[in-house]
Amino acid sequence: MLEIDHLTRRFGEAVAVDDVSFEVAAGGLTGFVGGNGAGKTTTMRMIMGVLATDGGEIRWQGHEVTAADRRAFGYMPEERGLYPKQPVHDQLVYLARLQGRTAAAAQSAATDLLDRFDLASRRRDKLESLSLGNQQRVQIAAAVIGDPDLLVLDEPFSGLDPAAVDSMVDLLREYTSRGVPVIFSSHQLDLVERLSDGLVVLHRGRVVAHGSPDELRRSGATRHRLVLGGDAGWVRVLPGVTVVDVDGASALLELTAASTDELLAEAMRRGSVRELVEVRPSIADIYRKVTS
Amino acid sequence: MTAPVRPETESRTERPGREPVANAWRIVAAREVAVRLRDRNFLISTGITLAAIIGSMMISGFLSSRGSTTDLAVTGQGATQVVQTAQRVADAQDDDVTFHASAVPDAAAVEQQVADGTVDAGLVRSAQGWQLIGDTDEDTDLSRYVGTAAAQLAVERNAADAGTTVADLQRGSTVTYRLLDDSGNDEATVKIVGFVFAFLFYLSSILFGMAIAQSVVEEKQNRIVEILASAIPLRHLLTGKVLGSTALAFAQLALFVGAGLLGMTAMGRGADLGAVAGAAGWFVVFFVVGFLALAALWAVAGSLATRNEDLQSTSTPLSMLLIIVMFGGIFASGTVQVVASYVPMLSIVAMPTRVVAGTAAWWEPLVSLAIMAAATYAIVVLAETAYRRSLMQTQGRLTLRQALRLRG
Repeated sequence: MLEIDHLTRRFGEAVAVDDVSFEVAAGGLTGFVGGNGAGKTTTMRMIMGVLATDGGEIRWQGHEVTAADRRAFGYMPEERGLYPKQPVHDQLVYLARLQGRTAAAAQSAATDLLDRFDLASRRRDKLESLSLGNQQRVQIAAAVIGDPDLLVLDEPFSGLDPAAVDSMVDLLREYTSRGVPVIFSSHQLDLVERLSDGLVVLHRGRVVAHGSPDELRRSGATRHRLVLGGDAGWVRVLPGVTVVDVDGASALLELTAASTDELLAEAMRRGSVRELVEVRPSIADIYRKVTS
Repeated sequence: MTAPVRPETESRTERPGREPVANAWRIVAAREVAVRLRDRNFLISTGITLAAIIGSMMISGFLSSRGSTTDLAVTGQGATQVVQTAQRVADAQDDDVTFHASAVPDAAAVEQQVADGTVDAGLVRSAQGWQLIGDTDEDTDLSRYVGTAAAQLAVERNAADAGTTVADLQRGSTVTYRLLDDSGNDEATVKIVGFVFAFLFYLSSILFGMAIAQSVVEEKQNRIVEILASAIPLRHLLTGKVLGSTALAFAQLALFVGAGLLGMTAMGRGADLGAVAGAAGWFVVFFVVGFLALAALWAVAGSLATRNEDLQSTSTPLSMLLIIVMFGGIFASGTVQVVASYVPMLSIVAMPTRVVAGTAAWWEPLVSLAIMAAATYAIVVLAETAYRRSLMQTQGRLTLRQALRLRG
């Protein structure tokens, strides 16, 4: 388990990461959400040890993280980085060796991963000669080539087509099912909502929401959509109901005091009812709310 | 401002199943070497330089072993004898030239043959003695040997007329030269060898130095450095780069120097080989020690830049240093050279040049090398700090001072 405990980082006067705390459970996939400059990348770089902390602590398996621990962390930096002019297979082997894998293990891991990404025939090609999508696949391979204990992925899905996103997700699931915690950042809220077991929303360096997608959705106000046979304007005068929006026969409501039964009974008294559904807020809604 | 943070002294308990991080620098060094050996530009430039060394030696060997023949058209009494005497003078000086005289009826015929290129030059009688006739250029060898021959013949004839001999006239005028110390090489050899050392130093330092700086910028620009920094201490990254490049530079230099020495043997300059080979050995040793420091400084030049374009300015002080060392090695002489042979970096060229010249006592290279080793150590330590602190800085170009002030 990875614990981030009151982590703080300043750049001059600006506080980039401000007292951030959260946990990534073993086998959990934690999504890291926030706008540009929210502090996601800074936090990840501190986890990886490429940036100093100004306060707080990062704990791994209960103790303060060490360089030896970090050697077994797989990392995909925000700005993609590999050697453009080195053959793909060679640089994967090199990175695996730097992370302490034996030459034999590094060779077979590189071969397996390139096979898996259908890049076996390109293994001797220079990275820069590959298409962007394939370069991204190699970057993913580079993050996992060291047989990681933890995966830290900064925007791993950006630039991937839907099929590649799916195969990336499959790969990450393999690691989480082995108990490897995964933390990834993304701007694609729908994706984060679909994938993550846990979610951390950062805004201006602070954690503004934290929990599983369900928990977060439940924390928001539940709304109801009512669709009638006739005009829905009358809901404005109904007690115990806050009207979010009315458009012709359709109304979006927040029930403050009234129950759904009372609402339905009133609606049926006034005419025909076509639809009454509960509308759970999406993560995007929650995100907009907590970051506004 | 960002700064890398790995406390380099942190104790590391290795994860089971992983190799110790202490070997990481070797993996980095092996990659540096492997990448360079597969770099076509590097292989081509090495091949071209090697070909240039061997080629220039073959050409100069060919030129110096090839004799020249000068055809002369002569007229007038005793002209043929002058040419024959000139031939004897040249032979006595081991100069491989051949003069071939053919007698023609008169001066007009001589001029005719010179003008139409039948002969290289002509020799005719003049009021004062003799006159050489050339087409457009003077042949200095010819005028020297013919002049000496004519003078000798005239002196012999005049001596005979005066009832004495040349030997009598010249008695007591013999001058010989005794060298107190004849261990050194002649001045021309020293100059050439010094120039070669200076040039090889500059070539290798620029070639390998730039390659180091570029590989550092490449890692920084691609941000792969973040992956590397989270896997191994940056000190290992620098050590691997410096040692890998130094090993390659050493191998390349040894190849060049070896080719040069072989060439000297082939050219029949074996007599000078002993002293030159000794100095070349010193040169390679000095170069390797000095290059360790230079390599670390080139890595810093790379780490101060953010993009390849920045390298131009961050590496300027280093390029200047290399130029100073090169020209110092070529032009320094006397006391300046003695001082230079003890100044770290300058000594890389200056001390081996003094060894060739035979002006350095046996202990002097050792002392100078010790001084440079100490300086190299200090430079590497400083460079490591600057490298480590500036490597994660990606907001534009840094100065060395800024880099050293960064948080570690």
